[in-house]
Amino acid sequence: MTRYKRQDPEITRRKFINVAMGTTAAVGGVSLLSTLGAANPIFRLTRDKMPPLKGDILVHAEASKEGQPIRISDLSDQLVRAWPMGKGENGENVIRKGDPNNILALYRFPQGQIVAPTNLEATIGGETVAYSDVCTHAGCSVADSDQGDGMKCPCHSGQYDPKRGCVVIGGPPPRPLAQLPIKLEGDNLVVTGFFLAMPYPYTSEAEWESFKKEVEDQLA
Amino acid sequence: MNQWLDERLHISRLNDKFLRKAFPVHHSFFLGEITLFSLIILILTGILLALSYEPSNSLIVNSFDPGTTDKPNLIPAAYHSALKINAMPFGDMLRRIHHWTANIMVAAAVIHMMRIYFTGAFKKPREINWWIGMLLLIFAALTAVTGYVLPYDNYAYNTLKVIYGIASSIPWVGEWVAQAAFAGKFPGDGVIPRVYGYHIMLLPMILVALTAAHMLIMIKQKHTQPQYAKRIAYKKIVGVPLMTQQTPIMLLLAVAFAAIIVLFSAFIPVHPVEFFGPPSTTPINNIKPDWYLLWVFGALAIIPSFEVNIFGGLIGSEFVGAIVLPTIILLAMFAVPMLDRSRDNMYYAENPTNHPVRLAAGVAFMALLVVWSVAGYKPELISSGILTTGNANTVLWIATFLVPALCYFGTLGIVRGIRALRESDARDRAAFSHADD
Repeated sequence: MTRYKRQDPEITRRKFINVAMGTTAAVGGVSLLSTLGAANPIFRLTRDKMPPLKGDILVHAEASKEGQPIRISDLSDQLVRAWPMGKGENGENVIRKGDPNNILALYRFPQGQIVAPTNLEATIGGETVAYSDVCTHAGCSVADSDQGDGMKCPCHSGQYDPKRGCVVIGGPPPRPLAQLPIKLEGDNLVVTGFFLAMPYPYTSEAEWESFKKEVEDQLA
Repeated sequence: MNQWLDERLHISRLNDKFLRKAFPVHHSFFLGEITLFSLIILILTGILLALSYEPSNSLIVNSFDPGTTDKPNLIPAAYHSALKINAMPFGDMLRRIHHWTANIMVAAAVIHMMRIYFTGAFKKPREINWWIGMLLLIFAALTAVTGYVLPYDNYAYNTLKVIYGIASSIPWVGEWVAQAAFAGKFPGDGVIPRVYGYHIMLLPMILVALTAAHMLIMIKQKHTQPQYAKRIAYKKIVGVPLMTQQTPIMLLLAVAFAAIIVLFSAFIPVHPVEFFGPPSTTPINNIKPDWYLLWVFGALAIIPSFEVNIFGGLIGSEFVGAIVLPTIILLAMFAVPMLDRSRDNMYYAENPTNHPVRLAAGVAFMALLVVWSVAGYKPELISSGILTTGNANTVLWIATFLVPALCYFGTLGIVRGIRALRESDARDRAAFSHADD
């Protein structure tokens, strides 16, 4: 009988190895999770990613005249896409296209055609109206319908009526397009505040409110 | 040389173990091989494309159309490199071959799967290979979708936006998942490097590993035997050995297949990046996913809008249509081997008409996916006047239930007819065999 022989081992070799390997796997798994967390980069809210703000000028989004201020005479019952242009940290002009969801749709209809639930106070003379151009379903840019009945999203055929506050008149979108309050200042179309309802990609009022607050805090 | 190698590597054992594998001779057994050849062509052309592709969505000056010093023409580097690939000798051809092969690989895999399903080849002991095959199908589709995004033209950009939207539609965790998967809020500065990593490293490695497992298990379990093998030699493996009888057939098939792909690519252009232009705010008018995802797209187009809030998580039509519904469909396909209760191993491919319910259910299932794919053409159906905005959803929803039901009972009826004919044939043969004596 050697003195190395154990009569009553507290832990068997097999058990020890199993526990050791299990612990290693657990620690390894957790560290892998932390690396996965790093896959999501930090979001920095720069001026070009802010939503349309009070005082922003609306400029053309079409590549050939991008950045040119929009005139009332450019608008008709055919959709015109616009970016909001605001001021950067040093007072320079910044087109807010860092967030593609800032794209806007502009229409000018003959007097009297735009009706509730459009907020007429937020239009220019009840004729010119601005909406978010981003479909509330999957975030595609909405275009004019080829049938001549309002707006249609080419992705999953969501349909909106721009004369009635862009309510959904067909397809899967859950909400109307958000209206943006605008006014005329000289020749320029100027934004007078945040979107009147939450735009894509927000799905709850709380998120949208907290985002608005974050923007205001940063600008203050 | 064989002897030299054998003395060092014992290649004769490799020969005995793998290269003598018997391949049943039947044309339907080449579908899986075509899928494999497609994968090989995809990897080869993919390597060549990766040599010239620039995985970055930073804006750079378009060297083909630089604009002016005051207003340079800036486009994403990835899109620019796609334009440059097209300008290379045979560059456009390379892109077309890669794109066509991807489509055909999924098609071959789907038809291969239909053969497995209709002949009952998924039964014990081959359930594991059915599940690995399902994973291959899913990862092949994911690889194709990520590949779609890489040229980063306006079409790819819109596609990516929809994919991002689908990922973020998952309740509770969606926003985080989408940002982690696509490198930040859309479009993140690193989104193209991220998708590039998926497309050329992560997903192909998974595909290759799964393919290897699929084939090793197939070699271990042997092919199901066609019915004629039962008559020739009951319970024996019938077929031609891989080396050297099956190999020339495979090589011929691979060369013929590659030739057809090259012919397609030469005459039918795919995904014209110059036409779509760089990412912009102008939507693509008739944007559609590839054919094998069209059914998800169609289902999304006909599901009415709704939103349910549960414990702060939002469940919307997008989540239900693009995630819940495909998950249900895929789970149903995963469950196929579990519906079979037989305890015996199966050796011989079954005649589909001897299993009418399985056959009819399979046909109805495919009919359902076809109806949803047609629903993907809802805008075109409306603008061509076949349907109207008002009745499109109703008609397509009725078709969703009616067409598969009709297919199910229609198939049962046809099978009954076929079996009646076959039985009367057998009776005739029995009756007249005396006369022949």
